[in-house]
Amino acid sequence: MENLGFFGVVFGIVARLWPVWIGLVLVYLLVWAYKPRLGLFGQLFNGWIGTVGVSICLFWVFAAMFADIIAPFGTRTQIAIMKNAVPGSVEADSAMAFLLGGDHLARDVFSRVMYGCRVVLLIAPAATMIAFIVGITLGLPAGYFGGKIDAALSFLANLVLAFPVILLFYLLVTPGIMETWPPYIMGGSLFLVPIIFFSVMFYTRFASAPRKLAIYLTATIAIGLWAWLNLMSSDLFIEKLNSVGLGWFGSMLQWSPFNMFGIETNELNIFVAVVFASSPGVFRIVRGLVLDVKTRDYIAAAQTRGESPWYIMLWETLPNARGPLIVDACLRIGYTTILLGTLGFFGLGMGPESPDWGTMIKDGSQTAQLRLYYWQGVAPAIALMSLVLGLNLLADTLREESLRD
Amino acid sequence: MAEPILEIENLHISFFTKAGEIPAVMDFSCKVMPGEAMGLVGESGCGKSTVALGIMRDMGNRGKITKGTIKFMGRDMGEMSDEELRDIRGNKIAMIYQEPMASLNPAMKIGPQLMEVPILHEGVSRDEAYTRSRDMLASVRLPDPDRIMGSYPHQLSGGQQQRVVIAMALLSKPALLLLDEPTTALDVTVEAGIVELVKDLGKEFGTSMLFISHNLGLILETCDKITVMYSGEAVETGSVSDVFDRMRHPYTQGLFRSIPLPGADKNSRPLIAIPGQLPLPHQRPFGCNFGPRCLHFVKGVCDAREIPMQDVAGHENHRSRCERFEEINWSAMPDGIKVNEPVTPGKTVLQMENVKKYYSVSANEIFGGAHPRTVKANETITFNARESETVAIVGESGCGKSTLAKMLLGLETATDGTIKLDGKEIQKTAIEDRDTKTISSIQMVFQNPFDTLNPSHSVGSQIMRTLEMFKIGNNDDERRQTMLELLDMVKLPRAFATRMPRQLSGGQKQRIGVARAFAGRPRVVVADEPVSALDVSVQAAVTELLMDIQRESKTTMLFISHDLSVVRYIADRVVVMYLGHIVEQGTTDAIFSPPYHPYTEALLSAIPIADTSVEKKHIVLEGDIPSAMNPPPGCPFQTRCRWKGRVPGKLCETEVPPMVDLGDDHSIKCHLSADVLKEMEAVITFHGKDKETKAGKSGKPAKAAKSSAVAKANQEAPVALAAMGSAKPAAAKPAKSVKSKKAATAPAAKVSPAKAPVTKKDADANRPAAVKKPSKPDDLKLISGVGPKLEGVLNGLGIFTFAQVASWKKAEREWVDNYLRFKGRIERDDWVKQAKALAKGGEAEYIKVFGKKPR
Repeated sequence: MENLGFFGVVFGIVARLWPVWIGLVLVYLLVWAYKPRLGLFGQLFNGWIGTVGVSICLFWVFAAMFADIIAPFGTRTQIAIMKNAVPGSVEADSAMAFLLGGDHLARDVFSRVMYGCRVVLLIAPAATMIAFIVGITLGLPAGYFGGKIDAALSFLANLVLAFPVILLFYLLVTPGIMETWPPYIMGGSLFLVPIIFFSVMFYTRFASAPRKLAIYLTATIAIGLWAWLNLMSSDLFIEKLNSVGLGWFGSMLQWSPFNMFGIETNELNIFVAVVFASSPGVFRIVRGLVLDVKTRDYIAAAQTRGESPWYIMLWETLPNARGPLIVDACLRIGYTTILLGTLGFFGLGMGPESPDWGTMIKDGSQTAQLRLYYWQGVAPAIALMSLVLGLNLLADTLREESLRD
Repeated sequence: MAEPILEIENLHISFFTKAGEIPAVMDFSCKVMPGEAMGLVGESGCGKSTVALGIMRDMGNRGKITKGTIKFMGRDMGEMSDEELRDIRGNKIAMIYQEPMASLNPAMKIGPQLMEVPILHEGVSRDEAYTRSRDMLASVRLPDPDRIMGSYPHQLSGGQQQRVVIAMALLSKPALLLLDEPTTALDVTVEAGIVELVKDLGKEFGTSMLFISHNLGLILETCDKITVMYSGEAVETGSVSDVFDRMRHPYTQGLFRSIPLPGADKNSRPLIAIPGQLPLPHQRPFGCNFGPRCLHFVKGVCDAREIPMQDVAGHENHRSRCERFEEINWSAMPDGIKVNEPVTPGKTVLQMENVKKYYSVSANEIFGGAHPRTVKANETITFNARESETVAIVGESGCGKSTLAKMLLGLETATDGTIKLDGKEIQKTAIEDRDTKTISSIQMVFQNPFDTLNPSHSVGSQIMRTLEMFKIGNNDDERRQTMLELLDMVKLPRAFATRMPRQLSGGQKQRIGVARAFAGRPRVVVADEPVSALDVSVQAAVTELLMDIQRESKTTMLFISHDLSVVRYIADRVVVMYLGHIVEQGTTDAIFSPPYHPYTEALLSAIPIADTSVEKKHIVLEGDIPSAMNPPPGCPFQTRCRWKGRVPGKLCETEVPPMVDLGDDHSIKCHLSADVLKEMEAVITFHGKDKETKAGKSGKPAKAAKSSAVAKANQEAPVALAAMGSAKPAAAKPAKSVKSKKAATAPAAKVSPAKAPVTKKDADANRPAAVKKPSKPDDLKLISGVGPKLEGVLNGLGIFTFAQVASWKKAEREWVDNYLRFKGRIERDDWVKQAKALAKGGEAEYIKVFGKKPR
């Protein structure tokens, strides 16, 4: 079999990534031209750490966007001869190289890494965002009211933190459990939290202006419900609904506007798992920040003009806690990415053919594979590492820049 | 005298940032002689702290001395190696910072922290270090030094912590002490104690001091010389008496005109604020930095060149950075001061009767403690406030004034009693149950300008939100219009509506705070120290604005403050609070003239007044404010009261005194009988303009006058104590009990000075005889306890030889003791015995008698 050699591989990868390079150059040009007007985002490019961090993150974002162009093969394309092929091997029929070699099922590792980035970048930020909204929704009243509410919520958070996470994951993803109700009820209620959050937010702000309030609330609830129904429209769930005589609800979920994008049951479980693992941490951060911010005079000023507690929490307190929260979000997306990897490694979470990095690392790290065909595990591991590193650098810079002024 | 301890010449300090070089200090020169105290005054951002850091050579990696030299004891610090600098820092030069807690290691006990200093710098043994540290704690007048050696910093009060920090600084016997706003974080009565300590330290240890402060009154009390800084430059320097009474720079004059001195009056002689604001370092104008804000600015003169420091002819060591100081008429008042008609208060708006607020504090939130403790934050508060009247509520931290404000605003509900707003009872309605009208009729102006606006919302939107909550205006357009009018009212440009709070200066933010409070045409505005966090020149402007708006809208204002000089200026009536009780209330005149409540008396004496013609009686309260969790039985003030001995029996310790009406709307919560109250003298007295001439020469006579007043106060206390016979001394502090014992045994000073004020002649009767300066004066510093500065003072009294000191009789010793305000140290250190030995056989004899060498 023909081989490109080391430099051939490097050159091949750089060449295949051309859409990413164009994207990055465009971003740099735009930043360079409009820097003074970009605020915090422009300041990220002040030092080399920030520039590197943003570049790595943007690299993976563009890679996810253009995965179809970049990847020479599909995620499940198997070419038998390429089983465990060495990096740089050229596939005879299409004359295309398996740049990072082939895996034990004769699929192209490079293509799978590129597509896998898509999965990671869709699930990790989304799951983190939901974890944040849940953590914020519980952390705000705990910090603001204090007393018994705080004691109860903090106890709950500690309880969840103390629960062995791995056991929780196994419980959630066991096939037997997937056929019972709890995952759906938990997932369903977690996805409801953002709708409630934004509704309360707009309600408190516009309570005295009914017309504005109506517009904002209708929009929030309509979009929220639509997204919620879409998320819940997995086949397993519809089957279950039919089995208990809620067929009308099931067929509603199957109706095409509510079935535009759905997530599979195992992805739903990942969401639930991530929210469980992350939101107690977010809760603690928010609670601590609120405890600090609520002693400020502007909070007292809001109280003395008769604002409701939730207005004060959402509009007076939360915006002033944003700095540390943004930084934490960056770090937490990184953790979630690793968590996805961990889940994949244990064979939990995504399906066996899924190209996500965790599953790839697991497949590539069987003893024989790791010794003889190391590239199968190392390539996705490096990808995972670089993304987390980029997010960490970004978080570092954000923290520094937000402290500056 | 000898060579200066510190000599700074043409110092330039810059910070280097990404934006380029930012000059923080420019062309700064000053000289501090041994034993001298130099004051450094200026507003925030003028570079005064940078000078101190420059002396310590501790400016981080961005700061750099770009030009000029700092000489310490004759040596250029710029040429010293890092090792030498390290040796000097903390050893020869010590620094005391504003926040005492930040200077102490919270994880270490006080003892080991103090002992580190001599162990590190002098390599003494642990035992020796322990004794030294303990003695030093005693000499900064901390009660029970052994206990303090074994406690952690958080177990001490703020005042005690600052004393520990001072003790730590002094342990290395520094030649120069840098004090950076050492009392700003403390309460007034505690501050008075620290100030007295710092003053005495100069005398006792002969330490030179650089005292940095924004408070001119403090500088007057502690320093010999003063340098005024503005925007990175020293603008005026000279002796305290010159700069205070014959200032030759418009900025200095502006500062004095914008602080409420005793002569100011809100109607006939209002404060005059300095217009404009401090320029940013990179926006300083060419020529005079103060030019754009100066009333005497002349184009072509003031901006023709960078102005150097110039000697003021006829004044010794007095220099000014003003090009025109010889042409300016320094006594003329600026034009356009408006004089206001005094307002007559209308009907009663706010009535508080027997209002109480108790908090119960339990140990555990969920399960509850076995014995929930009660904190009595407010006890039987009764007072009224009338329309367009300003009522000041005065008290130190923990006196319950904030709780009072919270109850008015509905953030807390009263435990008992009634609060009536326009006849409507509101004491039990919390804010969420109040109707819009009640909410908008009581509003508040907050203390901290950096906290009063939400940094995340624009200024305009915050005011509009307030209007929306108060249901003013039907739609956003109407509210926007009202908001713009409110901005006009507080004299801010309308463009500020879209600004974010961080783009505003402190004074501007406070104006927005005022606009917000007055948005709903309130009946009562609670102003919680609205100007205390602002710079002096801005304070005046905001105070005037607040009063103008109040006058126009006929609002009642409750002005919460601890600063009696502002209160005297702004208030019509005053309520003095201590530990949750109202201890005195009455019209402003009644409060500021005798008879006083003993606490008010101490509070009045504690405020530093920046006026050389004011003579204050010197009363320093012992100890700290008791905790509200554990208040003393009986009268709340009894633990610190110096009049307690005049009340028969143990009444003060057992019974809360009733509110005694003294007529004219003036009442006092005190057990003292009417006769005793009549004995009280005014704390603050003027002695007119004769000071001007007296102070002219050297400032010494002025000091003598001041200290004789102090002597008076000191004698008074023992008499009071002696009179009560068997009753034990009030606070049982060591220093005090020693004093009282002496008073009982001393045959001399028994004329009752409390009744008949001692005239100056009488006071000087026991003054030791002076001699002409001999050709070879003795080195008085050999007497332990006499430093270079004290030697100077003694020489000033005409005392030059050991023989003179040795011949002092008891009365003379006491006179000198009082003169130096030593509280018996001459006696304790046995100066006379030391002097006798030295006079007889010099050092050899001294070693024979005392078994050690004189220092």
